[in-house]
Amino acid sequence: MRIITHTCPDCGTVVAANELEKNRVMKCPRLDCNTVLRFEDLPDSEREHFLEHRDQYQI
Amino acid sequence: MKGIILAGGRGTRLRPITHTGPKQLVPVANKPVLEYAIEDLKDAGITEIGVVLGNLGREAIQQHLGDCSEYGVEITYIIQGNPLGLAHAAGCAREFVGDDDFVMYLGDNILDNGVVELVESFEAGDYAAGIALQRVANPEQFGVADVDENGNVLKLVEKPDDPPSNLALIGMYVFSPAIFDAIETLEPSWRGELEITDAIQSLLQDGHAIDSHVVEGWWKDTGKPEDILEANRLVLETIDDTRNGTIETNAEISGTIDLAESATIESGAVVRGPVSIAEGTTIKSDTYVGPFTSIGKDCEVEHTHIENSVIIGESEVSASGKIVDSLIGRNAQVKSAEGLLPEGRRLVVGENSNLKL
Repeated sequence: MRIITHTCPDCGTVVAANELEKNRVMKCPRLDCNTVLRFEDLPDSEREHFLEHRDQYQI
Repeated sequence: MKGIILAGGRGTRLRPITHTGPKQLVPVANKPVLEYAIEDLKDAGITEIGVVLGNLGREAIQQHLGDCSEYGVEITYIIQGNPLGLAHAAGCAREFVGDDDFVMYLGDNILDNGVVELVESFEAGDYAAGIALQRVANPEQFGVADVDENGNVLKLVEKPDDPPSNLALIGMYVFSPAIFDAIETLEPSWRGELEITDAIQSLLQDGHAIDSHVVEGWWKDTGKPEDILEANRLVLETIDDTRNGTIETNAEISGTIDLAESATIESGAVVRGPVSIAEGTTIKSDTYVGPFTSIGKDCEVEHTHIENSVIIGESEVSASGKIVDSLIGRNAQVKSAEGLLPEGRRLVVGENSNLKL
């Protein structure tokens, strides 16, 4: 299973794609970081893969 | 070498304590379980640590750890979100780990002897992974490793009817980056998770060597209240006597006492160690605090007999009875009903509480 993550460019916090997709637009989860992270920040191929296999990323 | 600590999970077996905080912050001998993991990694020379957080308790853990500079390590937070299994948690750390080897440490576990020997054993050979094992009496209830005479793992089996050995996996691992390609080949198991044992099995099938290290000291998974009490007992057996607080004349003290600077044991109290008493806590007169008890910050304990118990903090305990084998959450009040009418116990009990009256 492909594991897709995105790293906050400001603080280095790593966020799994399921979290990004759930929120679409979110503040970086690190408490002292205010950077806005978006599902659209992921490369097209990773977004497409995630959306095509969305069931695998749910529990 | 880097480290990742898994600090997700819902902590359902520790409710109601975990209704208000993550299980990794429940204290053992007045120190959150998670801090033991950080200390063990640092003792193994690992100062770059990724902390994997789930859906619950992520703010509380960040607030507690901050940037971890006071521990002398550098923290990167990794948000796993949905609990998709240990292998998914490891996979989320791929970019953080890069080309390094890494230790994966379950954040609600405590090991007597840390991970130094596990890391040394892994580094002594050309291994793709190293697993920590412990001899158990009931291997059919665990993931079990079959190993050769040199400690090389031959296969892993999950809860086997006919165990090939009594060596159970205890949830401490060392991995080379080869584990990430193995994880990519996995499909979710019947429970919808990516299983780390499947990833290790995949490494074996691809011809990689897997090291094993048998842990000789104790190991505790602190997932249940009785496990917290047991871990508390095991850690208190190893503490130093540090009586930094105030012990009034005519207080009766014996055994090993870890007494914080602003804690007080008043005249007329009896404290028999090993016991840990945190900052701002007062043990009042006519109170007995017995062995294997940890009392957290800013508590008042009065007219009570308490032993083999953990009070997490900011609580008042003044019940006249004996309290044993108990885990008392933050901000709790346990008082006497004596003199109140009608006679009887008065309870405000949260969901998933467990009382024996």
